[in-house]
Amino acid sequence: MSNNTETMVAPIISARGLKKHYQRGIETIKALDGVSLDIRAGEMVSILGPSGSGKTTLINLLSCLDAPDAGELLIAGRSVSGLVEEELVNVRQGVLGFVFQKFHLLPTLTVAENVELPLMFLRRAVDREKTLEILRQVDLENRAGHLPKELSGGQMQRVAIARALITDSKVLIADEPTGNLDKANGEAVFALFRRLVSEKNLAVIVTTHNLALGGLADRIITLEDGLVIDEHLRQ
Amino acid sequence: MRFMAFAFKNLFRRPLRTGLTITGVALAVAVAVSLIGFNIGYRQSIDVSIDKLGFQVMIMAKGCPYEAATMMLKGGTGLVYLPSSTYDKVRSDPDISAITPIFVGVAEKEGSGISDESASSFAIISGIEVESFVSMKPWMTMSQSAGHQGGRWFADEATGEVVLGFEVAEYEQRKVGDSYYMSITPYGQTEPVMSEFKVAGILERTGTQDDGTVFMPIGLARSLFNRPTELTIVGFKLKNFSGFALRQFEQRWAQLPEVQVVGLQQVKTTLVSLVETAQTMIASVAVVAIIVAIIGVINSIMMSVFERTGEIGIMKAIGASKSDIFQIIWLETMAICLGGGIGGILLALSGTSLVEKAIQSLIDFGTRGSMVAITPQVMLVALLGSAVVGCFAGLYPAWRASSMRPVEAIREGE
Repeated sequence: MSNNTETMVAPIISARGLKKHYQRGIETIKALDGVSLDIRAGEMVSILGPSGSGKTTLINLLSCLDAPDAGELLIAGRSVSGLVEEELVNVRQGVLGFVFQKFHLLPTLTVAENVELPLMFLRRAVDREKTLEILRQVDLENRAGHLPKELSGGQMQRVAIARALITDSKVLIADEPTGNLDKANGEAVFALFRRLVSEKNLAVIVTTHNLALGGLADRIITLEDGLVIDEHLRQ
Repeated sequence: MRFMAFAFKNLFRRPLRTGLTITGVALAVAVAVSLIGFNIGYRQSIDVSIDKLGFQVMIMAKGCPYEAATMMLKGGTGLVYLPSSTYDKVRSDPDISAITPIFVGVAEKEGSGISDESASSFAIISGIEVESFVSMKPWMTMSQSAGHQGGRWFADEATGEVVLGFEVAEYEQRKVGDSYYMSITPYGQTEPVMSEFKVAGILERTGTQDDGTVFMPIGLARSLFNRPTELTIVGFKLKNFSGFALRQFEQRWAQLPEVQVVGLQQVKTTLVSLVETAQTMIASVAVVAIIVAIIGVINSIMMSVFERTGEIGIMKAIGASKSDIFQIIWLETMAICLGGGIGGILLALSGTSLVEKAIQSLIDFGTRGSMVAITPQVMLVALLGSAVVGCFAGLYPAWRASSMRPVEAIREGE
């Protein structure tokens, strides 16, 4: 993603001075201590950092799964500060898609049913053709009727990505998506992210420990002790 | 996919646990349905048995009304007798529309049955006056099935003829015109006297104690039992049967020594009240079983919720609202309870005959027909009850699940 695009496209996620502190006994843990960033459509952003640097906390805040103690967060131009849980659900629905380290597919549902699950919550009709098209995009079209236990780790993660895409999300948020995958599958997942960014103009935010994979993103943000210590574009 | 289908699929993740929980509910519902069915069936059975006595009021020797009732219903032993003059006194009462005297005795049966066992059995004998007796029981007609054709009532003065109830004829394999033997010990003697009778007729099945009774002319019965001036019961129908008319009738005739006037409504009440204590105990067991089942359901669903904490977090993350999660868990609970309800009803229906046999072996009041009546209304109530139980049992687990914060739920699940 170029600097020109960055200046032309309005951010879909805009965070200013996000803070999240936890109390552990008498000690205050500053998980995030004033993070500001913008995420735009059509860019892939890696968030790197060691354990405890605040990656997951930042992802949770950007996902509207948690609320910041201080700071301003705009999702698709809407301020989410002070919203209650049901309102946050509305913000998430149709805008944010999630991919987790442990896939979290429901074991009794087939691949296609897992992908279609968010539609049930959005009260949208299931379009099996669309499901198969999305599975085609993640190279799992021939696995639609399989159960998760019949898939490999890499395939399960691709199902999770398809699940995030079924609602036409504008932002894909992935927290350590390659944490449970081997190198080849990890690279395949990142390659898929790149393809989705270019083909569907998605914004992808991904946290990872893996510097090599993180380096495949358009922009790399490095966190340490709850602060952004580095932010640069891919060379 | 619909929420209901999704809830069902969740239940099949732990089929054994789900099955055991449903079984627990089913057993509780089966106990409750059987109890309610017994309550209804027993009352119906009492009603039918007593209504088919044919009279509304009876006069008999003083004693326990329960004994009086069961004696009439199932024959009984330890018979006590009235002087036949009672009949002559009472028959002039202006409130009576019909009256019939009955003499009941017990005969010994030997060697005439299908079994050649040396052990003897007993036959209940009703000595009746045909015209007045049959006018009170117009449903008592002669069977016309194979071997029963040509049956008729005996004449009141006949000395060697009997009419057999349907079950007696079936058990003894008698046809119309066959011989029938009974040994009767006359009053005041110790040795029984065997007599041969001709089967004049065989009655259609009535579903009452009459099916197991041997009928003969009242004069003959009195003579054989050597009680020529005695009766067992005098049955009446009143012109205007009401509580008031019955009380007045009672007052008029209770003054006779050694006589009691028994209204059949009173007999019904007495018989029903006899099993109410037992019913209360069984109801307590049913209530305990239902409470245990509810606790089982809540426990099972709570375990399922805790196991799926991470999954619930994910569902919230991908768009499920609080009410969606509440609905899913609540539907799972409802499905278990309704499944248990349906299973319990089927269990109760299939076990009806066993329950009847068990009840009849424990308490035999001589009632005939089904003692457990599982009506469509009972099944509907059981199903609605299961749904109500499901509604309440599902509230807490559903609330717990829906109240989970997604970020914490996902973290806990990992």
